[in-house]
Amino acid sequence: MAIGAMLGDILRSLFKRPVTELYPFQRKPAPETLRGRLMYDPSKCSGCQLCIKDCPADAIELLVVDKVAKKFVMRYHEDRCTFCAQCVQSCRFSCLNMSNEQWELAQLKREPFEVMYGRDEDVQFLLERAARAETGDVECGA
Amino acid sequence: MPTQEQNQKFIVPIGPQHPALKEPGHFEFTVDGEIVTAASVRLGYVHRGIEKGTEDRTWTQNVYLLERICGICSHVHVTAYVVAVEQLAKVQAPPRAEAIRTIVAELERIHSHMLWLGVAAHEGGFDSLFMYSWRDRETVMDILETISGNRVHYSANILGGVKFDIDDQKRDFILKGLEFLEERTNHYMKIVTTDETFLGRTRNIGTMTKEQAIELGAVGPTARASGVTIDIRDSAPYSAYKTFPVNVITDETGDLLARFVVRIKELLESYRLIREILDHMPEGELAARIPRRIPAGETIHRVEAPRGELFYYVKSGGGDKPERIKVRTPSLCNWSSVINFAVGHKLADMPMILAGIDPCFSCNDRLIKIRRANQSQVWTWEDLRLHGIEYYR
Amino acid sequence: MNLPLPSIILLLFFPGGLFLIASGLVYQWADRKLVARFQNRIGPRWFQPLADVFKLLAKEEIVPTGAIKGLFHGLPIVALASALTAALYVPLAGFNASYSFQGDLIVVFYLLSVLTICIGLAGANNISRFSIIGATRTLTQIFSYEAPFLLALLGPAIAAGSWSISKINIYAQENVWLILAQPIGFVVALIGLMGKLELPPFDAPEAETEIVAGALTEYSGRGLALFRIGKDVELVIGLTLISALYLGGLANPLDFLWKTVVLLLVTAGLQALFARLRIDQTVGMWWRVGALLGLLQLLAIILGRLIGPLF
Repeated sequence: MAIGAMLGDILRSLFKRPVTELYPFQRKPAPETLRGRLMYDPSKCSGCQLCIKDCPADAIELLVVDKVAKKFVMRYHEDRCTFCAQCVQSCRFSCLNMSNEQWELAQLKREPFEVMYGRDEDVQFLLERAARAETGDVECGA
Repeated sequence: MPTQEQNQKFIVPIGPQHPALKEPGHFEFTVDGEIVTAASVRLGYVHRGIEKGTEDRTWTQNVYLLERICGICSHVHVTAYVVAVEQLAKVQAPPRAEAIRTIVAELERIHSHMLWLGVAAHEGGFDSLFMYSWRDRETVMDILETISGNRVHYSANILGGVKFDIDDQKRDFILKGLEFLEERTNHYMKIVTTDETFLGRTRNIGTMTKEQAIELGAVGPTARASGVTIDIRDSAPYSAYKTFPVNVITDETGDLLARFVVRIKELLESYRLIREILDHMPEGELAARIPRRIPAGETIHRVEAPRGELFYYVKSGGGDKPERIKVRTPSLCNWSSVINFAVGHKLADMPMILAGIDPCFSCNDRLIKIRRANQSQVWTWEDLRLHGIEYYR
Repeated sequence: MNLPLPSIILLLFFPGGLFLIASGLVYQWADRKLVARFQNRIGPRWFQPLADVFKLLAKEEIVPTGAIKGLFHGLPIVALASALTAALYVPLAGFNASYSFQGDLIVVFYLLSVLTICIGLAGANNISRFSIIGATRTLTQIFSYEAPFLLALLGPAIAAGSWSISKINIYAQENVWLILAQPIGFVVALIGLMGKLELPPFDAPEAETEIVAGALTEYSGRGLALFRIGKDVELVIGLTLISALYLGGLANPLDFLWKTVVLLLVTAGLQALFARLRIDQTVGMWWRVGALLGLLQLLAIILGRLIGPLF
């Protein structure tokens, strides 16, 4: 029976640096295996859409530019993503993987979270089409 | 100023919002001075309709929905579900996958018990123990983050196996962390069992005998502290517990101190178990193939969550979505022990008695029963949503 | 050292008034920082107590239904005023006390109790159940530590043969430190001070996991700010009193600084070391152990004075 069983801890702490991390100023590197932002490699994608079927959070959309030429653009909603990596598991062509960067998700708007993956010209094409649709110049076809 | 009349009851409400409770729950303690004479509980503040939600999602998507029933024991929920689905699909997960599942489950138990140790110490006003145990808990959180990629929702399980392997590098990292944790755990054991001021708050508080524990249906460490040998890992072993048996830890006294002792000893047992599994890791595949449509049928599966027995009932209609999933969490079984043993104690003991069962409110708030006069009806997900909007308008 | 200052400055700026409030905030910060460091945390930055006070002063003060309005507003002022008044009789910052008369030790003692009683009344003035329980506990606790604490302060007074703090201070400077002559009295006085300030482990009256904030649950804005400043001032006065009486007196500001900081270090360590005592345990401990130890010390002093001259 003792009084003050933590005395040793307490005295040692007085001469030790606090363990608290001053977070925004000090950053611990994220472990390599961290499931952060989803990365997409359009060259390998076959457009099977299994990842979309399995996504529990509706975070991925696949926009088809040209199905025959296998041109796909992926719209990834980072704010909806639960970072479960099920899509990575489901993808048979390993065109998806999760990077260990971008895990600080705070923005004032939703827009910055919308990420477009794909070949530059495809993304450009889609964005232009969307812009045209907005101005009223509606084009037919998918 | 209105005064309390002689015959009027003086009821102290704790919750739904109260510093002692980290999750919403409502307790009413009728007090006479400082002595509690009656207690009641009201639950259901964090009902989220998850069980109904499962019926709208595919088998795979449900893995991640069910993981979110509890923020602390996320892995065991999925393990219970995944094993039940594997039973329905007649698929056996490879032995290496089962071993990894078990390692993550035990690491989760460590982090849950460390968290509880801190919370319980905080309820007793012992903030130093709270700070130190949570500081050391970071070690196991880091281990989990490094091996799985996330601190809380490890998402280790997929239907038929696990996502990630534990290679030599991760193995060494785990072993190194466990060494530190074991030393600290022994230290906490010493503090909890010898510090006189803390013993004054835990000894002979909320004592529950073995008979009472069985009668009230207590589960998990709460029951084991009263001497009931109930541990699903031992009585109905699943996953790797079949090859790596656990020693059930019990204590005879049944008071708060015994619950501390049992949980800390379970930490030590978890360290031993993880080391043993890591030393005898079976080789092989990480996942077995599982069909997208699960054959029709129904099954149950039980696992030992950090808080006690977790029960899953899964029914499949043969489609790509489950027909019904029913979850019963350990916290729900332990409430009766709180309400029964609060009476006669001081008001100051209430937070510690509440914390003593390691309650998890969002876990147990799932059941909802809508009674209309003489009519029963089936509500769809959309109906429930509209009802919810209407109810809270 | 003496202060050749007009009374108005003594009251408003130094050592009363502004200086006391400022030093109270600094000591509160030091206390929080030390406890944090004992728990391996960083703790608040230096302006945190001041920022808290400004925030509280800027906030709306809500008078709950069922409370007597005048009492609700008046009690914080009385509490702070009594704490500030008490400061005039202690050798604050190592300077001679601004005022002094035969028996001011007892006056200071009771002025410090007024603060606690005000907190108790403020709690009882509400119909909030947490406030009432907090008030009951505050007033129960005051009855338990008051007697042993007074007994512990009596020791130096008897040794110095005077009831005046200034005279005891001078006596303490000239003789061997009383902590060596009366160690039991020092321990009782230090722990009594922690009880008076409701610091852990004696924080049952404001145990947040049980009764939210105890007697002050319903206070917001200005009232809460005044009560908190009052407590900080009480901390400074208490530390000054004990170091003047037991740690060889306070001759100059430097003396004051290092002695009070060492005392604060010890109290912060004790705060970090223990689990909160239940109110019944607190009362039991004070009456069974504290009072007995206090009496024992008194008996030893009286015996010493009787036997001493014989040799």
